[in-house]
Amino acid sequence: MRARLLITSVIACGALELAMALPSRANADPSLEYAVKAAYLTKFIPFIHWPDTAFASAASPVAICVLGNDPFGGKLEQAAASAKAGERAVIVRRVAAPDASCQLVFLGLSNSAAADSAAQALRGKPVVTVTDSGQPERGVISFIIADNHVRFDIDDTMAERGGMSISSKLLGLAHAVKQRGQP
Amino acid sequence: MTMPTSRGGSLSVMGTLAAAVVLLVAGVVIAVYEEQLYSTQQVKNVHEQAQILAASVTAAILFDDRRAAQEYVDALTANPELQAAGVYNGFGNMLAGFDRGGKRLPGPVNGAGTVFGQGYVDITVTASQNGADVGTVVLRAVTEPLQRRYARHTGLILLVTMGTLMIAVLSFSQRALARRAQQLSSVNMRLQEEMEERRKTEEALRHSHKMEAVGQLSGGIAHDFNNLIMIVKGNLRLLRRKLGAEVKQVDTYIASADAALDRAANLTQRILAFSRRQPLNPQSVQLSQLAVDIGELIRHSVGEQVEIVTRLNASWSILCDVNQMEHVILNLANNARDAMPEGGRLVIETRDVTLSDPPPDVGAESFIPGQYVALSVLDHGTGMTDDVRRRAVDPFFTTKPQGKGTGLGLSMTFGFVRQSNGYLVIESTLGKGTSIVIFMPRDREAA
Repeated sequence: MRARLLITSVIACGALELAMALPSRANADPSLEYAVKAAYLTKFIPFIHWPDTAFASAASPVAICVLGNDPFGGKLEQAAASAKAGERAVIVRRVAAPDASCQLVFLGLSNSAAADSAAQALRGKPVVTVTDSGQPERGVISFIIADNHVRFDIDDTMAERGGMSISSKLLGLAHAVKQRGQP
Repeated sequence: MTMPTSRGGSLSVMGTLAAAVVLLVAGVVIAVYEEQLYSTQQVKNVHEQAQILAASVTAAILFDDRRAAQEYVDALTANPELQAAGVYNGFGNMLAGFDRGGKRLPGPVNGAGTVFGQGYVDITVTASQNGADVGTVVLRAVTEPLQRRYARHTGLILLVTMGTLMIAVLSFSQRALARRAQQLSSVNMRLQEEMEERRKTEEALRHSHKMEAVGQLSGGIAHDFNNLIMIVKGNLRLLRRKLGAEVKQVDTYIASADAALDRAANLTQRILAFSRRQPLNPQSVQLSQLAVDIGELIRHSVGEQVEIVTRLNASWSILCDVNQMEHVILNLANNARDAMPEGGRLVIETRDVTLSDPPPDVGAESFIPGQYVALSVLDHGTGMTDDVRRRAVDPFFTTKPQGKGTGLGLSMTFGFVRQSNGYLVIESTLGKGTSIVIFMPRDREAA
């Protein structure tokens, strides 16, 4: 199991290393930036706890859904193939509308209004919304680019409203955190 | 008395030795046990710290956040036991760490586990999130240097050393005490022996004084008595002459009185001999020849039941009263016969001897070294007890039945021998026989 993990994560982390090693080119090469973001999406999963109601059954996989445009170009599938959330597998779905059966939704909408309404639709649901950098909308997790590095903000209040909890370890790595209880 | 103390001493030494050994072994066991306990406790502590680090650093590993990882690692620098720490991702690349010792960490190649090195221990723990391994954490802790370890055990070492020392001192002092007691007891024994010897010497001296006094007294009396007897005897003779023919009527009375006077004179003679006041007529004589001359007389005297063996080897002459000497030999032969009522062998022996040490029972103060002729009369009779032997020369002491002995035979012999500058030695074993030896000084004038 360990050997397989190592082999499969070589690809994802290799890309990540590259992104870190060449921060100045991160913007210049969007495919590298999204490879990092795809790896991040799968890596968030072990640090997030969903309520049992979020899953159809105990064996149900953790679904990462891409709403709208897919900027990952197959990188996300690669990353998800090696990822695992406890006993659950990780799958990638593409959806046309906000889907509450997803556990993680990447809002790839260029239309701001549509993105906003989609975020609104998933508010209060046990779904982690992830917004891309350079977008005004904010999800539970929002990618940002800081110092040429891919970072992320976390809105723990929103996560709490959806009945989810995010590990403090992840919160500790976030660029900015909106703490629980804040308006 | 000395044996038990010395055995007790060696026993107690063994006991103290065993106690010291037990104390030492117990000290070593406790030290080793404490050492192991401490060592395992230290490893456990470091392992726990590694686990805590591994659990908290997973996100930093996954998201390759080196700064966050370094923050977690830096928190561990507060622990002086930790020499180095490293956080590695799944590829074995180091994300964060520190190293105070200058040595590079071996990295996560060994996998999870504990590896002991020279003065340090590497503890590797796998970091996993939700059951998935994400990387490894390695901590290197300094194992305690030997000096510090010894310092930690100093108290115990001191205690054990002092205990052992105390036991040693106690055992030594006890041994010294036992030795002193032994010395004391041996000194006491010597003192008792000396006291006993002194008592014997005093006894002998008193006895000798008594003999001297008795001799002087009886000698004086006997001398006067002898003169009186001579007066009575002379008057009896005059009376017989005066009576003439009429003497026949009273002759038996006079004869009987005369005989009694003879016996009385004989008795006083013996007493005089004992008190060494008898008039002696010394002549040069060879004892061997004398023994041959009176051989027939002795044979008649002792009777047929006794076999007489003579070994006459003496050739030197002596100076003595011949009549008295004959008397002495006869007397000794008669004593020997009386000691062998069933008959037996009587040995008369003469030999020349040179004495440099006093014979047994002869005081050193009265002994003159020189050449002597020894005359021995041996019997294989009843022998004497030690007590009887010591009192044998006392006047009027006899073991013979009433009326058989006067108790003056040996006293007279002793007196005569001493008056002639000789020595009398009595050796006797009860049931085996008696040997009486007379040493007479050699007559240098004779050829």
